[in-house]
Amino acid sequence: MAAGFKIAEPLEYHRSFLKDNCRPDGRELSEFRTTTLNIGSISTANGSALVKVGNTTVICGIKAELTNPIVEAPGKGYIVPNLDLPPLCSSRFRPGPPGEQAQAASQFIADVIESSAVIQTEDLCIERGKLCWVLYCDMMCVDYDGNVLDACIIALLAALKNTQLPEVTINAESGKPEVNLEKRRSLHIQKHPVGASFCVFDNSILIVDPTAEEESLSTSHLTVVTDEEDRLCVVHKPGGTSLSGEKLQECISRATARQREIQKLVDKVIHSVKTAQ
Amino acid sequence: MGNVVQRQTRGALRFEVCGNMAGLELLSDQGYRLDGRKASELRKVQARMGVFAQADGSAYLEQGNTKALAVVYGPHEVRGLRSRIRHDRAVINCQYSMATFSTAERKRRPHGDRKSTEMSLHLKQTFEAAVMTQLYPRSQIDIYVKILQSDGGNYSVCVNAATLAVIDAGIPMRDYVCACTVGFVDETPLTDLCHAEESGGVSSLALALLPRGGQIALLQMDARLHQDHLESLIEAAMTACKGVSKVLDEVVRQHLQEVSVLSGE
Repeated sequence: MAAGFKIAEPLEYHRSFLKDNCRPDGRELSEFRTTTLNIGSISTANGSALVKVGNTTVICGIKAELTNPIVEAPGKGYIVPNLDLPPLCSSRFRPGPPGEQAQAASQFIADVIESSAVIQTEDLCIERGKLCWVLYCDMMCVDYDGNVLDACIIALLAALKNTQLPEVTINAESGKPEVNLEKRRSLHIQKHPVGASFCVFDNSILIVDPTAEEESLSTSHLTVVTDEEDRLCVVHKPGGTSLSGEKLQECISRATARQREIQKLVDKVIHSVKTAQ
Repeated sequence: MGNVVQRQTRGALRFEVCGNMAGLELLSDQGYRLDGRKASELRKVQARMGVFAQADGSAYLEQGNTKALAVVYGPHEVRGLRSRIRHDRAVINCQYSMATFSTAERKRRPHGDRKSTEMSLHLKQTFEAAVMTQLYPRSQIDIYVKILQSDGGNYSVCVNAATLAVIDAGIPMRDYVCACTVGFVDETPLTDLCHAEESGGVSSLALALLPRGGQIALLQMDARLHQDHLESLIEAAMTACKGVSKVLDEVVRQHLQEVSVLSGE
């Protein structure tokens, strides 16, 4: 009976829960789904992480390659993020070239990396003007159940913390780079940006960490990315119904609390990997 | 809220680095291979079914260091080209792709290139032989397979993972489809080749088998091999596939038990 009602009148179904200040999966309005993290499981990648936020699962793999730095920034390396939303993660995606959502999300992640300065790109430079590292961060969603942006940012952060780059020296005589696979160093992560996504129902009710159904029924979305110094890195509200100033402040404080939780989680997992080695 | 973590050895990368050195023995005098296995030993198979909530059926399978995810959607209405509708059976649509971080060198074109298209076609042909498509006329079954880490035997691992995913989706099949890649070195068939062995110039044969009747769904060999050796190679492949089918059967039964306990039967 409930299943029939859910399919026939999804909005009414959700409203009936929101009246009692809760949601169909039993969460409070401001509660995030259980987040689990697993790192370093892909040995062909320089760094990898798998994140599950509820049912939404994102795998991030980082491959480092040597390349010439771009002309405008000869003393810096660069990071190229890319999010893939393949048809296997949900039946809403069709096979073919990346759709709008994937491309927009990739650009969003690139903005987060740049504005939060998660890594000093000068660290990626090996020889000024000649050789630098480029980090290809490929994120792949394998199960789409809403809030893929948050999961991507966490996966990216964990994978960067897990990345090990080999030592590269330039041979003085031949001018060719020599890679020493034995000596590896981790990346120095300066800041820990973490995102929190919200959506608005019926122009007034604000819910945190929407599932795919809630996302499709909501009237507006908002994502806030903060770092550990309580600075805002990115605030993204793509259209939709308007939001008052106080609601926005609430979201920002909820996002800061989330940042603490996730940073603790990532540190704990990284630490347990180090002690396990 | 944080979690158990595993760290795999960097075995795959190591082989990539030294695999092209001359004199690397694929089969030592004592009968041991590069990773310490015997000639007819399979790599360790670990699998889980029902891993994703969105899909109708899903499975994750690891065979040694090769990891694959398979996801099945369907049977559902035919999407896209209406001309593909078959009035008497379901259409199977397969897509094979590799994650860009799955190989030692970053893969620039994970799907759409010739190799992926060929693999997708082979997977489709393999499953058309096994899935009972006559039961679902005018519909489509989507099988998506993604390789997360590649260490040889990609086709075989995909077939094994996809079999579990199809079973998880509840789509009837004639039999399990089990696959294995075998190679021929020093007059001995080596089962379940890893990447170093595949790229070491070994003549390799990929076989997909329906184990109960011993029926071959797909056989692919593209290397020089004397026809006298073909018999023993196929024999070795069939034995390996039957071994894999036992493991897959165990996984399915285990999963069913867990699910029935959870649903309280």
